[in-house]
Amino acid sequence: MAQDELDLEKDSLKFGFIKLTDCAPIVIAKEKGFFETEGLQVEVIAQPNWKQLLDNVINGELDGAHMLSGQPIAATIGFGTKAHIVTAYTLDLNGNGITVSNDVWEQMVENEPALDTETPQHPISAASLKPVVQEKLDAGEKLQMGMVFPVSTHNYEIRYWLATSGIHPGMYTSEDIKGFTDAEVELSVTPPPQMPSALESGTISGYCVGEPWNQQAVAKSIGVPVTTNYDIWKNNPEKVFGVTKAWADENPNTHVAVVKALIRAGKWLDATDESGKLINREEACRILAKPNYVGADYEVIKNSMTGFFYFQKSDKREMPDFNVFFKYQCSYPWYSDGVWFLTQMRRWGQIPEAKPKEWYDETAKKVYLPDVYKDAASRLLKDGWIAKSDVPWDTDGYRPPTKDFIDGIEYDGKKPIEYLNSHTIGNKD
Amino acid sequence: MSDQTPIEKIKYGLLKTIDVSGFKVFDPVVRLFFGEEPRKQLGDISRYMIAPIIFVCCCMLFWNFIAPRHKTKSGEVPTPKQVWNALVTNDTLDERENEKESDFQLSDEQREDTIATVTALVAEREKKSEELKAELAEIEAQCKKEQGEALEPLNQALAQLKAENKKLRESRAAESAKISKAIAAKEADPEKLLEYLRNDSEMTLAEKDSEKELKDKIKKIRDEEPKRLKAAQLASSQVANEVQHLKKRLDYLSTGNRSQKVAQAEESATKALGSLSSADSPAAILAAAKSVVKSEQRASKISEQEYPRAATIWFQVWRSLFTVFVGFVLAAAIAIPVGIMCGLNRIAMACLTPIISVFKPVSPVVWLLIFQIIVGAFFPNPDTHPLFVFLNGLPWIGALNVNPALIFSACTVAMCAVWPALVNTALGVSSVEKDHLNVAKVLRLGLWSRLTKIIIPSSLPLVFAGLRISLGVGWMVLIAAEALSSSDGLGKFVWDEYQNGSSHSFANILLACFVIGIIGFFLDRFMIVLQRSVSFDDGAATV
Repeated sequence: MAQDELDLEKDSLKFGFIKLTDCAPIVIAKEKGFFETEGLQVEVIAQPNWKQLLDNVINGELDGAHMLSGQPIAATIGFGTKAHIVTAYTLDLNGNGITVSNDVWEQMVENEPALDTETPQHPISAASLKPVVQEKLDAGEKLQMGMVFPVSTHNYEIRYWLATSGIHPGMYTSEDIKGFTDAEVELSVTPPPQMPSALESGTISGYCVGEPWNQQAVAKSIGVPVTTNYDIWKNNPEKVFGVTKAWADENPNTHVAVVKALIRAGKWLDATDESGKLINREEACRILAKPNYVGADYEVIKNSMTGFFYFQKSDKREMPDFNVFFKYQCSYPWYSDGVWFLTQMRRWGQIPEAKPKEWYDETAKKVYLPDVYKDAASRLLKDGWIAKSDVPWDTDGYRPPTKDFIDGIEYDGKKPIEYLNSHTIGNKD
Repeated sequence: MSDQTPIEKIKYGLLKTIDVSGFKVFDPVVRLFFGEEPRKQLGDISRYMIAPIIFVCCCMLFWNFIAPRHKTKSGEVPTPKQVWNALVTNDTLDERENEKESDFQLSDEQREDTIATVTALVAEREKKSEELKAELAEIEAQCKKEQGEALEPLNQALAQLKAENKKLRESRAAESAKISKAIAAKEADPEKLLEYLRNDSEMTLAEKDSEKELKDKIKKIRDEEPKRLKAAQLASSQVANEVQHLKKRLDYLSTGNRSQKVAQAEESATKALGSLSSADSPAAILAAAKSVVKSEQRASKISEQEYPRAATIWFQVWRSLFTVFVGFVLAAAIAIPVGIMCGLNRIAMACLTPIISVFKPVSPVVWLLIFQIIVGAFFPNPDTHPLFVFLNGLPWIGALNVNPALIFSACTVAMCAVWPALVNTALGVSSVEKDHLNVAKVLRLGLWSRLTKIIIPSSLPLVFAGLRISLGVGWMVLIAAEALSSSDGLGKFVWDEYQNGSSHSFANILLACFVIGIIGFFLDRFMIVLQRSVSFDDGAATV
């Protein structure tokens, strides 16, 4: 039996999550009994927002949590609450979308007649949004949009999307921690589940958020998703499983056991039959739709989880990679993912001063723990749960350079400074 | 009153109970039952019981009428029936947790029997689920077809309109080009072009409007969700959820079962024991012995494992009640002594007045945040903190899973509930009759005796009136505190439902509204009983 090898320091654990479909690996590991196989009794508890989730992990109320990729990094370098948080498991890729209100969408269509069909061509850039922003600015106002957290993937994605079309999303400075400096569009924090109601009430005119909150906007006809983060950066890292460094040091074996269960859950979620159809996603949606997990309607969760995405009620598209939980060796904690988030923090001024190239590498290595992942994976490999090709055994932790961005700029994790300097808007070093 | 017959004794006993508990409405029912002035009692019953019942029924009917007619984008307002269904669903969820818990603990024959029943049930429900799924697919296809049919002419009209408008625009563009040419050739007045262009933009707008009108129509049809589709989805979901639950039960009966897990651990212990006896090298012996001990330890650890229950509504109710109780006791423990001090000593009163006046109006939300920071600092590691270890080790209370969030919420409740009790206590103490105090002086009673014999007893009615207000305030504040601190309880239930945003969420929130209200009502009645039992007059309010 597998758990014979692991001498668990702690066998009853509490994990926090935010009501988003990408918490799936944690929920599935519990509901499908993967945690139990490792001898772990796990409670999975919904958290009201990312700040409180992080606080609860830091103060020991939770053992670990579903976190934004940027959170462990930001906490470790001390942007926001300072605490040394580490991660050994990336929960998923992609899974976010940018939704604008019906009103803004109509104006965008006006500005770009090519969008005036039921199935406009993707990716939709923010170019058609620019006149809307300008019109607001002329009226002495700024377009308000929502994102979920200052260091969330969503914040960097929506900034990237806006900046690519020449709309300045604002800089963070040491005085301006809201990131409104020079902004043409003001991005403010709204917890994911509150996005649709904030959009409907008009506090914001658009948002960038994970699922099911874009599909919810379609289902309730209160907004139109214009793009997904798959179009902004193909296969970008999204959430991680984070714990404090202290917890990881105290419970090394438990940590490995947790990662083992998560890998199995990821593998289960991405299992396909011969024709490439995802076989377990419907069951996963059924589980996630329970009120103590994500709790949204099964139909809404199913929209994006089973390989499709509704951009409008009339515009359902196949997006098999909208949620990736295990494919492309994605659950491995890549240093290059960490470096990308660090470059974005620097780009938008969350890191106020220029840092040398080595610092990026060192910081990523402080946060990402591939050794724990490899330990867990090698045990699973031995027991036959995963295939040898599922894990990048011999990597140096950096993915090969990629140009899969909406603007085609190349990202090489080993050249963070060059990457920073290749953008027009934002800090350059 | 020795001349009372036994029946009269029962009657007056009942009447007294009703009176003390504040259910005076039932007074005529009892009197009627004992045959006292039937006419008068019937009149009272119809006035004070039947009329309110009819009124409430009218409200329900009005609600039932208005709810489906008031649609918002966030969802429909649920009808009373839907709220009732929400109650049933929540109860089912609770029941399912119970089932899983008992499955987890079952062993031996019982376990096998249950496996057999559940397996049979799974087969049956699965079949049903497949049927419903097929039905749903059919209805879905049908609805789609119908929608397509309804949309078809509109879409065609839109395409046509667009084409026409485009043509018009093009012809106007050509015309304006022509005019410009004429102007360039000095054959026309530039004013003419401006005129034409002004006209043109107006026409373009009008054309766009006509397009928009059609688009809105299309959108409306798309937004419509046929009732039977919704019903089919609901029915299919319900059975699919049940199947999922039953399969999970099977898990808990087989691999996830406690006795099974213990047996497994024990088995590996025996195996290790076997390899210990057959081991020959010192290293192998040591390794085998270690493995024996480890397996034994695991077996004993597993045998103490509890089923990790998901929080259901009844659990949330109990936890909320416990939290408000803790907060209320804290509030009373502060308010009564401080109140007595203020009532006895005018300087103390003067000292505390500014504090009371400034802090009384502060919102519970602010208190919660403050307590999170202050109190949170005392529990750096809640898992091993002696207070929580002790509380969670207790029967009943342990099941409520006491954590720092509960303490924050309780402190917030205490902070907001302390003021009415404090002010009333001070008032009660300061208004003790001077004669009584003079008598005490004459008798040369010490401070303690004065307190316990005279001051406290005579101020009790007001103290309890204050406590009653405090409990009401506390219960109200608690829901907000729980929602914000995500401490399990009714507040969190409401907040989670709001966050879920599913089609049942609205009904669940309304359900919580009733549950909170009804519990608040009973808490208030409970305080009335306490208050009545210490008052000497019968004049205390019962509303």
